[in-house]
Amino acid sequence: MSFTPVSRWIDRWNAYWFPPTPTLHLAVCRIVAVAAQLFWFFPDLDEHKNLLVKNPEFIEPQLIVRAISAIVPREVFFTPDAFTFLYWVTFVAGIAALVGFFTRTSLFVFCAGTWIFIAHLFSYGDRHHTEALFGIFLMLLAFAPSGESLSVDALIRRRRRPANDVSDAPGTSEMAIWPLKVIHVLFALSYFSAGISKLLHSGVRWLNGYTLQGHTFGDALERGHPLGIWLAQQHSLAVALSVFTILLEVFFFVSLFLPRWAPLFFLGALAFQVGLFATAGYDFFQHMVLLTLLLFFLYPEWWRSWLSSRITADEDVARIEARVESG
Amino acid sequence: MPQRKTLISIVILLVIGLHAVPVLYHSERGTLWPFMQWAMYKNSRRPGPIDVHQRRILAITSQGQTDTVTPHLLGLSITVLKQRYLSTIGTGDLSPAPELIERLNRHRDDPVVELRLEGETFTVTDTGIVRTDDPVVTYRADLSRSR
Repeated sequence: MSFTPVSRWIDRWNAYWFPPTPTLHLAVCRIVAVAAQLFWFFPDLDEHKNLLVKNPEFIEPQLIVRAISAIVPREVFFTPDAFTFLYWVTFVAGIAALVGFFTRTSLFVFCAGTWIFIAHLFSYGDRHHTEALFGIFLMLLAFAPSGESLSVDALIRRRRRPANDVSDAPGTSEMAIWPLKVIHVLFALSYFSAGISKLLHSGVRWLNGYTLQGHTFGDALERGHPLGIWLAQQHSLAVALSVFTILLEVFFFVSLFLPRWAPLFFLGALAFQVGLFATAGYDFFQHMVLLTLLLFFLYPEWWRSWLSSRITADEDVARIEARVESG
Repeated sequence: MPQRKTLISIVILLVIGLHAVPVLYHSERGTLWPFMQWAMYKNSRRPGPIDVHQRRILAITSQGQTDTVTPHLLGLSITVLKQRYLSTIGTGDLSPAPELIERLNRHRDDPVVELRLEGETFTVTDTGIVRTDDPVVTYRADLSRSR
């Protein structure tokens, strides 16, 4: 009796997470994300060596660091030499993941190395939110067919195919969209958590403008962002931006239920992150990369239809011009 | 394929569900990266003048060399430097100063013998930003404290 409703829920679940999607999109996401991590967000080895040399103990070790320490003694693994070795292993794995060579394995090794570096950095009493969602996304890519297209693996597979096999249709997979969907959900969760904690902790006083002016002024002054110093002197604008912040953070989750409108939420969030950096130097670059990927690849229909309507319009104009010239 | 979907579904639920752990398990909320609590900038400010402090600690060695205490010099992050040392010493509480000197002297031949905290307060007013210099706080390793 209860079988039908359960199977209906499973069907809904599968329809949401596993719709057939071109593997090309996920491959582009892999290349962008790995390239960003390799050439933009890669760990600073000197910073890690400095921490290792100047601190005989961790201040507040991350779970990952504690897990490693439980297996390998600190004086063996947490040394400048071991970290130099780990750095290069991670880098080589990153290059392999970028070109899609043994994609899943190289992605996993690249991501594991990256996680260890970040966990190590955050084991000395400080932690930041910028890397978390991006780190999770990289790991999810290792569990998805992100090397099915635009990869050395795909090239090797094509070469090994029998000569009479001419099927070269662009690949689709039911497993090629869920990492982006997970990140969409995590953005909704993290924004909601950030927004609701402001309201629960401070109430509507968070919207008084003085709060945003204070946060912006301190960080803009320290980091040398003139736009933030100017904003700190604009009370009415600070009130308006406070309201925008709370609305975006608390209601971003609505985009999960309105796929047609989701790109607008992504654009709003992107503008929010760029604005935070421009005014106060909050460098959530990883969020910006992820939001851009969501904007173009989670619901790609909007820009495709926009592009095709532009092309059609241009063709119409060219046809009319040709007719006018010939007539 | 159904088996793979089941496996990936477990991964999805795990990744989303693990975000509840730092919220529910407070003692570990800062050590479960990448599963974090996202309560950022939740504090508010009462209506009134907006002022911020900019502070730095100068370390003077026995040979008279002066270095600004930076996260790199200390081997700690800027957040820890601020919370443990800049903010505390900035209020006139010199209790963390001996520990700071001990940290700074771990890997140096020319030991730090004096710390000097300097700073300014910047205030947003109707006519612009006003800067005032804060009183200098000095700590000498051998002479205990003096101001």
